[in-house]
Amino acid sequence: MLLPKFDYHEPATLEDALRLLSEMGGNARIVAGGTDLLVRMKLKVEKPSHLISLRKIPRINVIIQRENHGVSIGAAVTAGELSTNELIMERFTPIGLAAARLGAPGIRNRATIGGNLVNARPAADLSPACMVLNASLKLKRSKNEREVPVNDFFRGPGETLIEPNEMLVSIFVETPPPWSGGAYIKLGSRKTLEISMVNVAVLLTLQSQNGPIVDAKIALGAVAPTPVRAFAAEEFLIGRQPSAKLFSEAGAIGVGMCEPITDHRGTMEYRCLMIETLTSRALNQAYQDAMTWKPLPV
Amino acid sequence: MKRIIKLTINGKTIEAAVSSNQTLLQFLREDMDLTGTKHGCGLGDCGACTVILDGKAVNSCLVLAVQADGSEILTIEGLAEDGKLHPLQQAFVDKGAIQCGFCTPGMILSAKALLDEKPNPSELEIRTAISGNLCRCTGYQKIVEAIGEAAEVVRMREES
Repeated sequence: MLLPKFDYHEPATLEDALRLLSEMGGNARIVAGGTDLLVRMKLKVEKPSHLISLRKIPRINVIIQRENHGVSIGAAVTAGELSTNELIMERFTPIGLAAARLGAPGIRNRATIGGNLVNARPAADLSPACMVLNASLKLKRSKNEREVPVNDFFRGPGETLIEPNEMLVSIFVETPPPWSGGAYIKLGSRKTLEISMVNVAVLLTLQSQNGPIVDAKIALGAVAPTPVRAFAAEEFLIGRQPSAKLFSEAGAIGVGMCEPITDHRGTMEYRCLMIETLTSRALNQAYQDAMTWKPLPV
Repeated sequence: MKRIIKLTINGKTIEAAVSSNQTLLQFLREDMDLTGTKHGCGLGDCGACTVILDGKAVNSCLVLAVQADGSEILTIEGLAEDGKLHPLQQAFVDKGAIQCGFCTPGMILSAKALLDEKPNPSELEIRTAISGNLCRCTGYQKIVEAIGEAAEVVRMREES
């Protein structure tokens, strides 16, 4: 399968990349891992006349720990790196788990978090994971920059708040409070290289090891035109004592948030059943994870 | 517009002019005559084009040749040493893990990337490592066994 013709640019600095992007307007696309963009170009879904590569830009592919209060993930950090990074797995569990389920090893070694978010596929793995962690996205253009909460970022399939001359450069995530735990569950007809039929990310925070739930975040993917938060289920959980029964009730509430479609991956009815089951299962897993919360070794 | 890239393929440094829309897979097969790397789906679904790029298994159909500038590439042609098959290749032969052979180069390179990182992988780790490689003959069981056996051979060779 052949790629259409385009000009390739490899700017050495972020400033150069942003300048190129603003000069070329809508005719340029950023290429990082290319696992999504090059496929769409081969299928002639997209025909940019310029590709701007991030590979020479310093520090855009690093994970930086911000003291104890959070982590800044460069847009070009690969899914493979996220899934093997101990800090991410331990403290930002949904992101680590979602990254480990994205594509297959060969894809994970190239695919980036920035690409996964900006492509805004309703079934993307990292979107719901970033949503439950309230990630904040730094969007830059030549002259200025802005921070956008990931929870406001998605507008529809393939559509986000990002402007044609803007680039997602990093993702900031605040460290969840003590006694937090996370989970990510993806359902498809096979275990790898699968586009989710339904996926769910959860972050649960307890008051103490055996205490009530003080915060709950649930995000569902592939159930609506964008990934969605199950706010009603979250509110229902807060202040209550965790139990399997409580989690299954929350799962039933979660279904109310969704408008899944029927397609070749699954029917609307089946998806609704699975939202309920997987939400409750993910809550149980996040609860187990929260109970075993440990301070990080210094 | 052609660009000059310089990269190391199977230990040999190479300088070449490539088009920006040429994939690494096309470059290896058509310009370098390294046809051991197979062109399957071209969309990152089948893993037949797997090569090792800077130590990581990647689908070479989804890497631009220009993006491989300055990198180190290992293809199936670079595995044998002094005419002797790599333990992974030998184990695939011995275990009957090769049927039609089309997926074999990709399978072996995915396995090689695994063994380089984890010399003593569990069966689950083996299955995960080759989870992006399709075998249309469905000979997965023998492939998994062959990788396990090769891991042992490599470990023994390194201990002695």
